[in-house]
Amino acid sequence: MILDFINYAINGALLGLLYALIAMGFVVIYRASKVFNFAQGELVVLGGFLQWWMVVNIGLPMYVGIPLAFVLAGVLGLLIERIFFARLVGESVFAMVMVTIGLLVLLRGVVLLAFGPQVRPFPIVFPLQPLVIGELMIPTNLLWGGVLTVLAAVGMSWFFNRTRTGLTMTAVAEDHQVALSMGISVKRSIAFAWVLGCVLSTLGAVVYLSGKSLNFLASDIGFAALPVALLAGLESIGGLLLAGVIVGVIQGLATAYLDPLVGGAVGSVLPFVIMLLILLVRPTGLFGWRTIERV
Amino acid sequence: MDPAGVFAVRYSQDRALLRTRKQWLALAVFLIALAVLPLAVGPRLIAVANIMLISAIVVVGLQICTGYAGQVNLGQAAFMGVGAYTAAVLAEKTGMSFLLAIPLSGVAAAGFGFVFGLSAARIKGFYLALTTIAAQFVFHFAVLNLPGSWLGGSNGATVPPATLFGYRIASDTSLYYLCLVSAVIMICGAFGIVRSRYGRAFVAVRDDDVAAGIMGINVVATKATAFLVGAFYAGVGGALWAYMLRFVAVDQFTLFNSVFFIAMIIVGGMGSVTGALIGVFVIRAIQELISTLGPELAVILPFLGGDIVFATMNVFLGGTIALFLIVEPKGLMHRWNIIKAGYRLWPFPY
Repeated sequence: MILDFINYAINGALLGLLYALIAMGFVVIYRASKVFNFAQGELVVLGGFLQWWMVVNIGLPMYVGIPLAFVLAGVLGLLIERIFFARLVGESVFAMVMVTIGLLVLLRGVVLLAFGPQVRPFPIVFPLQPLVIGELMIPTNLLWGGVLTVLAAVGMSWFFNRTRTGLTMTAVAEDHQVALSMGISVKRSIAFAWVLGCVLSTLGAVVYLSGKSLNFLASDIGFAALPVALLAGLESIGGLLLAGVIVGVIQGLATAYLDPLVGGAVGSVLPFVIMLLILLVRPTGLFGWRTIERV
Repeated sequence: MDPAGVFAVRYSQDRALLRTRKQWLALAVFLIALAVLPLAVGPRLIAVANIMLISAIVVVGLQICTGYAGQVNLGQAAFMGVGAYTAAVLAEKTGMSFLLAIPLSGVAAAGFGFVFGLSAARIKGFYLALTTIAAQFVFHFAVLNLPGSWLGGSNGATVPPATLFGYRIASDTSLYYLCLVSAVIMICGAFGIVRSRYGRAFVAVRDDDVAAGIMGINVVATKATAFLVGAFYAGVGGALWAYMLRFVAVDQFTLFNSVFFIAMIIVGGMGSVTGALIGVFVIRAIQELISTLGPELAVILPFLGGDIVFATMNVFLGGTIALFLIVEPKGLMHRWNIIKAGYRLWPFPY
């Protein structure tokens, strides 16, 4: 009984870390460009399809195909910036966010046109057998995903808070006008944000999809990861880990214990309820920046 | 700007929306054309026109909330769904007349929207937009998990046809008149709202909410009102939708539909009721065109099968949103106003 509980909690926490990894895509783009990226889920799907294309369709060995997919994802991010956002520097942030809504729709169409609506098998990157410790069963892909998430979070956190390049990007996230007048290239920052966002999404796709099937509907994970990003506060990368674990554990336990009582789906809606409650108490999330507004 | 030679000499003239006899004439001709449309075109196009009119109501509501009050609302489809389900329940369970059921659906949706608008008390900016996504998920969850005898769960709910004095409003043509009359009433209301005290407060909050607060506008109440009004429109549209399809299911009101509505106001032009109508017409017309051409596209690209319409629509819609934001961020309405001003000023530059 208690073992079951621990098992659900650990699995939930690891799932939460996966959400944190996906949410890191949001946060990195936000931290370097002040743009909230609604198309996050589509980036994950696109990253997944790039890997499927390289490994399954072309038949490259995994250790060549997957790094190549990461490179392509980076190129894609650069392309997105060149086509859409480079022209919008100096326009309102509102317009940029609206463009990401357009991107959400556009990328879904592009994925359908390029790869079709069929369900595709995703390469098995992590072994399928769960790791068994005593009576605890831990899915291997989520375990590796958790490790990768922590590494990525530490790396990104260091980059944005400690390096010169990262700090200039943080300035862009505070205010485009001010950053421009300080001599910081908003354009380069946004380009970097999208490259990084696409690469992180592709990493998320590896963890999320390893050994599963893939079609365009996998993009739902983008919105499922939203509560984690908001709970952490959109500016905080390290906070994602804690927020991910909180949301994941609550979701895991709710799915295990509440779903049978109510008849399903509590687990999937509860994160949004938590998100709403936390935002009402603490609007900037747990670790978000508190801004002072002037007119 | 008025045409040359038209000057307001009374306040009532200054406030009027239609200022010249020709404008009245144009409006009358337009309305008469809409009224006799069923005589001129086939049932297929009337069905499309019904969808356009319903979308027009929903999108005008979104225009008030997003275009005027500046509150990005990604839950408009959920608000519409609340209206549709309310109409379904009222019509099926209580046998209420549609004359009462449609406004009540609007009220129900407005209540739901107001709850999410109230979070404006604490949450600002894009965080607020994101909570409206939560509205979308809460709506789906509630419909699917409430007892099946209430809302029909995943099977959806059937709706009896609307009847007026024993006459069943079930054919496309009779539904067309129902939608047309509702749309005209709602759009007149929208023109009233946006130039009232509330409408000016919306615009002030959109342009700068801190400054608006300092000027004495209750910012939180204004944002919540914007959601209330927008959701009311969505609810009325949803009720009409329920009477049109006579069947409501939860997957008719997805986040994707909300994005569609946003696309319509971007294309038409933010902050203009007429712009919203233009956006609805353009996007729905092109959607219809693509689904008509779909089978032929499927012949050219056979590997896509039946999903070609959906895929092409997405590429088109996403491309359009991005293109408009980059090239014409103020929408088609703005371009039209430039052309109109140029015509009135000709041959002078300004």
